[in-house]
Amino acid sequence: MAEYIKVNPMYQDRIEEVFQTNINPEIVLEFEIHENDFVNSGKGSAELKVTIKRLGVDPAIMRKVAVAAYEAEINITAHSRGGVMTSNIFPDYVHIVFQDRGPGIEDLSKAMTPGFSTATDLVREMGFGAGLGLPNIERNSDIMKLDSAKNESTKLDVIIFFH
Amino acid sequence: MTIKRYYHGFEIVKDNCTGCTSCVRVCPTEAMRVREGKVEIDATRCIDCGNCVSVCKYKALVPHPDPLEKIRKFPYSAAIVTSAFAGQFSENISYKEVLAAVKKLGFNLVIEESMITGFMVRLIREYVRENKHIRPILSSNCPAVVRLIQVRFPSLLPNLLLMESPMGILAQYYRQKIADEQKLEPEEIGIFNIIPCIAELTATHAPEGARQKLYDGAFSIKVIYNEVKQILNSGEKLDTDFESYDAGLAWTLSGVEADLVDCDDIRTLSVNGIENVKDVLSKVEDHYLDQYDYIVVRNCKNGCVGGVLNVENPFVAMSRIKKLTKEARKVEFDDSEISEMNRQDAFKVDPILPRSMMKLDPDIKIALTKMKKLNEILTQLPGLNCSACGSPNCYSLAEDIVQGRAALDDCIILLKQTKEEEK
Ligand SMILES: Nc1ncnc2c1ncn2[C@@H]1O[C@H](COP(=O)(O)OP(=O)(O)OP(=O)(O)O)[C@@H](O)[C@H]1O
Ligand SMILES: [Mg+2]
Repeated sequence: MAEYIKVNPMYQDRIEEVFQTNINPEIVLEFEIHENDFVNSGKGSAELKVTIKRLGVDPAIMRKVAVAAYEAEINITAHSRGGVMTSNIFPDYVHIVFQDRGPGIEDLSKAMTPGFSTATDLVREMGFGAGLGLPNIERNSDIMKLDSAKNESTKLDVIIFFH
Repeated sequence: MTIKRYYHGFEIVKDNCTGCTSCVRVCPTEAMRVREGKVEIDATRCIDCGNCVSVCKYKALVPHPDPLEKIRKFPYSAAIVTSAFAGQFSENISYKEVLAAVKKLGFNLVIEESMITGFMVRLIREYVRENKHIRPILSSNCPAVVRLIQVRFPSLLPNLLLMESPMGILAQYYRQKIADEQKLEPEEIGIFNIIPCIAELTATHAPEGARQKLYDGAFSIKVIYNEVKQILNSGEKLDTDFESYDAGLAWTLSGVEADLVDCDDIRTLSVNGIENVKDVLSKVEDHYLDQYDYIVVRNCKNGCVGGVLNVENPFVAMSRIKKLTKEARKVEFDDSEISEMNRQDAFKVDPILPRSMMKLDPDIKIALTKMKKLNEILTQLPGLNCSACGSPNCYSLAEDIVQGRAALDDCIILLKQTKEEEK
């Protein structure tokens, strides 16, 4: 498995803490994402967005969460065999995990390059495929971690702090 | 903390309310509840869209426009007529006769919103070009939508076009012009809007972001229509020797503002109807519609002819206005003085502040606790969204319970189950 990780230097000291496995989020939202289901894709991030608004998170940060979650949800719909989006909400950050069922990404740094896309005609017809999703996720998150390999599943961690 | 009180253009007549919950179900911001058999409104959430007023069959929700006598309280008074007004009258009555009859109600001057349609197009294009760093720009013409953004989409407040509406611009311009010409103090001039909806009624009395007093009152199209009809029926001779600005009337109809502003370097989108508007604003939040430069967002499906204070069916009114626009003599309104005022930034408005209703609590830790409790309650509720409890749906009942404004046994289905188990 290859790994791509990007960390906002401001939160460097929190990496270990947020990737611990024995911490309990206050709220967990789970959402199934189906392959090529563009009608329902986006509902998971919409639900997360409403929850974040209800918690009174700053509107600018709420938009970062919305954008990152939406792009990641669409990627699972467009490029994978489907998967699960799990939003773990803590008092000062949200940790969203996107776990799909393959087929994986061969070259992570290529995938992260703005403009790189393997989108099919169907995906392009739906208005996606500019190759800007992953760079957009990177820009909007404080910590982003992408784990994948050819013929493996892909796991994407997105962490956004509220302050 | 100062508590801001919000003005609303309608009121509840409790005696007439049957507690039917029709209004509760159509409110786009979940501002209404039925408690102890009578409707209540959360004034901070209400955006004055008027949906509740239009569904109420029992006259329990009534608009309260200003009384007509107010016109005579001023040494000089002027009416600003919304373009939707032109669509209310049958085609055997000329639009000029209608305007002349409005004047007879006691106004010294009748001003038409449609005068500055051409100016508005220029103003909006300029604003959109100057604010390239903000996309999309959202129109601020519909006061209900501005309030919806304050309440539900506060992150989009910077996207609003921070300029006065056509009526606001005309009010400002004419107050000064009349004061100069008639040698009057600005306060001696009464400026009244003739308006198609509750939201405009509220905006007349409490305009968001306005830097100065704009208006002295508002009359609904319905009230003015009846008065004008009487004057027209009386056979009284009317002076119709003036220009009217029919060409700009269509601005008020759905789609037209966006079409007029659209040009080579400005791509526009028009969205009407509050549910569509909510959907599109959510997409704007996700940066999904950044390819548009300007989005016109309006509460009513057909544009302002759909407002609850109109008389005529919105489709019929729309067709009449289109006909007037098509047959219009091209009369140019001299907007050079207005353009000069604009160069002095006279029509800028202050940034509009959020009025967020979404927060469960100002403290995020408490909000999280409430959210957990809310989710737990939600699993117990039947999910029928029947509104019989007086809250619009199961989610909002759960929210009301968490906030201490309702109890679990307000749910009639649950109550019935408990009763049956007891037997
Ligand atoms: N979950 C995934 N599984 C497999 N491949 C993926 C996945 N997510 C992204 N990719 C690959 O990475 C490429 C770049 O993704 P990115 O989101 O940046 O662009 P895009 O989805 O092609 O277009 P856009 O997001 O602009 O609509 C995709 O074209 C695809 O090849
Ligand atoms: Mg993508």
